[in-house]
Amino acid sequence: MSRFTKIALIGLILFPFAFLLMLSVGRQWPYPAVFPEQWALSNWQLVLGGSEGLGNSVLLSVLLSLSVATLSTGLSFWVSRHIAYHPKREAWLSLAYFPYVFAPVILAACLQFFFIVAGLYGTFGGVLLAQLFITFPYGVIFFSSFWNERLRSMEELVKTLGGSTLQAYAKVLVPVAKGALMTCFFQLFLISWFEYGLTNLIGVGKVPTLTLRVFQYVNEANIFLAALASCLLILPPVALLWLNRAVVFRERIVP
Amino acid sequence: MQQRWAAYGGRSLFVLLSAVPIVAGVSYALLYSLGLTGVMAEGFTLVHWQEILGDAAFWRTLGFSLYVAAVSIGVALGLSLALVLRSPQAYTKGMLSFFIYLPLSIPAIVMAFFIFQLLGKGGWLSRVSHQLGLISALEQFPDWVNDNYGIGIIVAHVIMATPFFTIFFANLYQNERLGEYLHLAATLGANGRQRIFRVAVPVLLRRGLATVFLYFMFVMGSYEIPLLVGSQSVQMVSVRTIQRLQRYNLGDIPEAYAISVAYTVLVAVLLGGLLWYNRKQMGRA
Repeated sequence: MSRFTKIALIGLILFPFAFLLMLSVGRQWPYPAVFPEQWALSNWQLVLGGSEGLGNSVLLSVLLSLSVATLSTGLSFWVSRHIAYHPKREAWLSLAYFPYVFAPVILAACLQFFFIVAGLYGTFGGVLLAQLFITFPYGVIFFSSFWNERLRSMEELVKTLGGSTLQAYAKVLVPVAKGALMTCFFQLFLISWFEYGLTNLIGVGKVPTLTLRVFQYVNEANIFLAALASCLLILPPVALLWLNRAVVFRERIVP
Repeated sequence: MQQRWAAYGGRSLFVLLSAVPIVAGVSYALLYSLGLTGVMAEGFTLVHWQEILGDAAFWRTLGFSLYVAAVSIGVALGLSLALVLRSPQAYTKGMLSFFIYLPLSIPAIVMAFFIFQLLGKGGWLSRVSHQLGLISALEQFPDWVNDNYGIGIIVAHVIMATPFFTIFFANLYQNERLGEYLHLAATLGANGRQRIFRVAVPVLLRRGLATVFLYFMFVMGSYEIPLLVGSQSVQMVSVRTIQRLQRYNLGDIPEAYAISVAYTVLVAVLLGGLLWYNRKQMGRA
């Protein structure tokens, strides 16, 4: 590939980021101006200043995604072991594909009634539980290929030497699985971070995550704040990518 | 003994978080659509099913969802295969191997907003066209968002799917040692066209079929993008379902649930077909 083609491709890839950043610092953009007439950092100061509730949405999104990712990673790691060593492992695993038959937003629509009955409708806990329904099965599928005979032998060795199940997890399994646990955690964090439809339906707008803010600002025709909220949504994944290079994403895609 | 209980506990939790919500959701939607539950429940009736199955708009919605998914995936596959087969190493080594991952950090709702600001009548391309003298008024710019052909939706999905499939095929190319196969084909006298269309494309598509199919279903059920850049007259299935559920007319709710069940059955059949095909392929291997 020629250097020119490479640079052109990189330019194309960076265009949406530059465009959103441009709008986030713009103030007036009358037609047919190609660029905003005024530039200011005042929109970004709204986040730091705490007005518009954007700062709260950032914190809420971080808290929700961290909770979902931590719970789903931990639970799916533990549960996947019991599935992976079962003689009918494939049949059990096929259950994990169930949630993908539904689009998340349709799943939320069909489960609304149960969330109302349980008093979880429009609450942080309700949104967290609803997101678990799509992230937990993903985690189980992710870890299902992790468990193998070698790990089983290591576990049995710990027990032969007098160790408990807890010690086998703490001293052997978790340290061995550190890389896989981190990758799974980041992927589940992103699934939760990007979620809109299910969060909106189960949260009834009372759990205003950043994705809901983008939609709110678009509806209010406030494109500059919508662009700002978009930048805030994109920043953490880009930072993760920068830190981990492609590791987090690569394992998500490679067959 | 303790281990056995832990295993039971683990598997019970698995069923509780994976299968129970789906079974509960589908059962509730089915019962609602049959008039057996809900505020409008009037006893067993097939009238809601007759209404949606006899409604041309429902079939148009289903057809439109399939069309958007097929065109988006088709274009994205064509682009990504062309990129990978032109320079297989470019996406696994060097600068592009980092930059190609960046578009994956854009959520669907942000992509929809970006497309709206780019392709809309008052969007960036319209402004550039005006400055270049290609149009003299905003109305002259073509309808690329909220249009009946789903152009905005398709462009958004193509932008999201192309980097995904490029990374996927670039890694497959390496893992399957496709370079060596192509070299062998050349040694046996295959020309460039034959190497691409008789060797490379079939190997990549066959190996990546499951991923392509799952992405197809993801596009078919997408919500945020058609919600922002889709048309009101021809809707995708998720948007139609949710809008009917959120209307003030309570009579629309059973129909919305009937659409949910019909869509779930369609996806389950397609997924079953994929699993059957995969098993058959594994049996052959």
